[in-house]
Parts: sequence; structure tokens; C-alpha cells
Amino acid sequence: MNEHEQFADELALYALGALVGPEKEALEQHLEVCSPCQSELRQLQSDATLLALSTSGPVPPPRSRKRLLQAVARERRAPVTVPKRFTWWLLVPYAVSVALIVTAAFLWNESRSLNRTLANLEQRHSEMEKQLRVAQDLVNTLTSPESKQITLAPVKTLPQPQGKAYYVSSSGHLIFLANNLAPLPPGKVYELWLIPPAGSPIPAGMFQPDSRGTATVVNPPLPIGVEAKAFAITVEPTGGSPAPTSQPIMLGAAG
Amino acid sequence: MMAATQAVQSDAALVSAMASGDESAMGHLYDRYSPIVYSVALRVLGDTGMAEDLLQEIFMQLWRNPAAFDSSRGTLAPWLVAITRNRAIDWLRKRRPETPVAEVPLSIEPDLASKTDFARSVGKIRSILDRMPTTQKDLLEMAYFEGLTHSEIAARTDQPLGTIKTRIRSGLLALRMALTQ
Repeated sequence: MNEHEQFADELALYALGALVGPEKEALEQHLEVCSPCQSELRQLQSDATLLALSTSGPVPPPRSRKRLLQAVARERRAPVTVPKRFTWWLLVPYAVSVALIVTAAFLWNESRSLNRTLANLEQRHSEMEKQLRVAQDLVNTLTSPESKQITLAPVKTLPQPQGKAYYVSSSGHLIFLANNLAPLPPGKVYELWLIPPAGSPIPAGMFQPDSRGTATVVNPPLPIGVEAKAFAITVEPTGGSPAPTSQPIMLGAAG
Repeated sequence: MMAATQAVQSDAALVSAMASGDESAMGHLYDRYSPIVYSVALRVLGDTGMAEDLLQEIFMQLWRNPAAFDSSRGTLAPWLVAITRNRAIDWLRKRRPETPVAEVPLSIEPDLASKTDFARSVGKIRSILDRMPTTQKDLLEMAYFEGLTHSEIAARTDQPLGTIKTRIRSGLLALRMALTQ
């Protein structure tokens, strides 16, 4: 017997308002989380209303209609009429009303101002927290005992360019610093690759060196937990490539 | 079906007019639904004077707080019938209202705005109740019209609780089937 079947008979009693005690409480708890039973309950409540149709026949006496419409007329929704005679004390309620409105407007304005201040403080707090988290991640990546430091050197003998990658595989955090990089022709970009022990190289960010030939890549989107066999850099068309399209110009094996 | 839809719109339009103070709209709604409201009140309370008082209360409640009825969630007639039955049971048991009007469940069926549909529905319901075993019909009526709890019904009928539950459920399902045939 599944849970719905268990409650099926109780639902019918509940629809009629006839279920009480612990069984009612148990059903109400189940109803809070069970959409099919909520739907069946609504249907059973409609079914119960059908029972009312069987009573059809008697009609109320004509006086009931008159009585109702008289009561409705007594509670007519009509505009308030203005008194004809003017006396100064009739202004008192209006003066009080105006004072209340002015006070309410002042308090409302104060409340809005406080709400704005609170919202600004919350936003600043949130931004500072975010910056702190980023800084903490940077420090962790540089100082973690798990952090591997990899020095990348040119494949061939032109020794000047150099890159260092700091990588924590368990968090997927990577910081890459490079210098002495040659400027690139238009339409080209350097792309960093994480080379896992098995499988294809994983893109680890694109960069352009500045006028001094330095560049950084901080926390590019990387899958978490991937060990690095090496890091490499290739020159790719602007926008990067999903897989290297040229030979690496720099390569560094992870220790 | 089209006629029913038009009738639903007409109910909604009358409630809307009544909400803006149109007393004649209130009169039209009364003419349309006072018989079923009165019948249910009379069936539960068993007293014409009390039934008239409850009829007055139900319609005055609609006049004072038309927003309590949300026409986008159901039709007027089942809602009126449900609050009438609930209030009548409250009166019968001399207790404070247990279900706030806003929490009375709304449904589309039965749509009683059309007189033809109404007469046909009444015929089907009476027919299925006539064919139902008396013991089962009594159980439904004890719960719906007398407001008895399941343990009170068990005590009165000397039937096992499980049997009562099953018979009440199958009785309600039979009513549902009657309208779909």
C-alpha cells in the first residue's frame, strides 16, 4: 500500500470535515508535501458539494428577499454627503486629519530614508565580503601546501619569456604570472592549457601581454579535482580555441 | 459548455457590479442562488426561521465582503453552498465559525448558474443517492448534513471505523461519477 492509498479514505472524511484527532493531524502533515493528495482533496470537496444538490426544493419565503434588500440598502455604499451649515468646529476633524496625514508623510519619508541607508550598507557589506573572499582565495592558492609551482620556459632556446603557474587541483584555483612575452600580431591571443595526465588539454584562460610583456591569469573556469601533468601556452586566434591549434611556445611540467 | 462559461462570466459580472454598490445586482444573485442556499440551510438546521436567518447572513456577508469570493478560482454556487453548509453546522453545534470564508475551497463544478444544467445535475444526484445502499447514504448525510465526526458516526452506527471511511469515500466517488455520465 503506498502512502496515497493509505490516506485515500481519510481524505474523503477530511473533505466532509469529519476527520478529527491524530488522524487529522497526520493527514494535514502529509497534505503539506503531497500535491496529488491536495488535488484529490479539492475534487472530493467538490464531490461533497454535490450532496447539497439533493436538498434542492424548498424556496425561501418572499419576505426574505425584501428583508435582505432592506439590509443592503441600510449598508449602502454611497458617497458621504457634505453638511450644509458651516461652523468652525466642523473643521476640527479635518485639521486633525491633515495633521495626521502630515505626520504620516514625515514618518513615511523617514522610513524610506532609513531603508535606503540600510540597503546601501547591506550592499557595501556584501561587496566587501566578496572582495575578501577573492583575496583569501588568492592567498590560499599562493600559500597552500597543496599548491604546485610550475615554471614554464620556451620550448626552444630563446630564454627570455617566463611563466609561473600556481595551481590547487582540489579547489580548481589557478594563478598564472608571465613576463617577457613577445607582443602578438593582430587577431591572435595567448592561450594557457592545463594538460591532464590523460585526455585532451583543458583551456585555462587567454591573455594578452601588456607593453612590458607581462600577463596574468587568475582563477579561470576550470573543473575541480583535475590533476595537472603540465601547463602549456599556445598562440590562438582571438577568442581562443577549444583545443590547441598550434604547437606550444611554452611548456611546464607539474612537479 | 459554452452556456456554462457564459453563466460563469455572468456571475462574475454580477459580483463585480455588486462590489461597486449595485443593489440590483445583489437582487439578481439572490434570485439565482437563494433557493439552494436556503435548502441547504434548512436541511442542516431543520428550522425555517433559522434557515431564513442564515440565508440573510450568507448574502449579507457577500455584500459586505465581495472580495472573499475569487471568481478566477471557481464558480459562485459551490462556494455559497460550502459556506452555507459550514455555517449551518457551526450553528447546529453552537460553536464559533471554524473555517474562515476565505479558506472555503473553491471549485468549478457543479456549475449551478444554468437552470437546465442545475435541474439535470439534481436529477442525477438524487438518482445515484436513491440507488445507494441506505447505510452508505446515511453515512454521507451524517457527515455532511449533521457535521458528525468519524468517531461519532462509528458510535452511532456501531460500524467499524475502517468500513465507515471506505463507504464514505466510495459514496463521494459515486456522486462524482454520476455527473460525468
